[in-house]
Amino acid sequence: MTARDAREALVEAAAGAYRPRRPDGAVGTSPAWHDLDAAGREEAFAAATLSRRLEAALEPEGLSSTARSVLRRLRRP
Amino acid sequence: MPDLDLHLPAIAQADADAFGRWLAGAETPLRASLRRFAAQVDVEAVLQEALLRVWQVAPRVKPDGRPDALLRLAFRVARNLAVDEARRAGFHAPVAEEDLTRLLEALARDGASEAPDPLLRALILRCREKLRRQPRAALDARLHAGGSEPDAGLAAALGMKLNTFLQNVGRARKALAECLRRGGVALPEQVP
Repeated sequence: MTARDAREALVEAAAGAYRPRRPDGAVGTSPAWHDLDAAGREEAFAAATLSRRLEAALEPEGLSSTARSVLRRLRRP
Repeated sequence: MPDLDLHLPAIAQADADAFGRWLAGAETPLRASLRRFAAQVDVEAVLQEALLRVWQVAPRVKPDGRPDALLRLAFRVARNLAVDEARRAGFHAPVAEEDLTRLLEALARDGASEAPDPLLRALILRCREKLRRQPRAALDARLHAGGSEPDAGLAAALGMKLNTFLQNVGRARKALAECLRRGGVALPEQVP
């Protein structure tokens, strides 16, 4: 895998909606996000913004993966 | 533009479905409000944490005669969380109070974004049908999971290596975006 491929994989990983929980129950950060430089983090933000819009448009209730993740957590704390 | 406080009475009664309807309109402007923090904090994590806190304080929110009281509160919660996280990481917080004020004024002027329309959904579905098998499988896996499972698990379920899965997610998004642009849809962000 090239360095460019590795970087793109990190961007895609950071752009996903899954986030771990911290020991105190708070939402944790993506390990991939920490491994990105500033430009990569900006790319991940842009990719996440577009992805959530597409996800929300595809979901009948207009909920993105972010919204569904939050709703799942508040229903099952 | 709709006033999302329409959902506030039900949210205050701990109606999670109502909170979902509020989220459908609130997420996009909230995420956009954190744009300046993108290089300093994990915006996805900050946004999710902020939304959970908004849910907790929503029963105490009183309408003040102006629209979108809950969304205005959410802007503040999200911004404060982002500032705290940025400072904890050693950054100088990038957004001044005047920026937040401008944001709130713009919200008062324009209102929150509306939920996606059926025509857009139909076009996206058509574009999705045109995706190649593996990118579509990766995209569908993420959609189905809805942020509930790490990518490693989704990749394994599809028999893909993690990096292959992530490449396919990216290819799917880019292909969808390109298809939508050809269909005349203006997208908010440039695809990386």
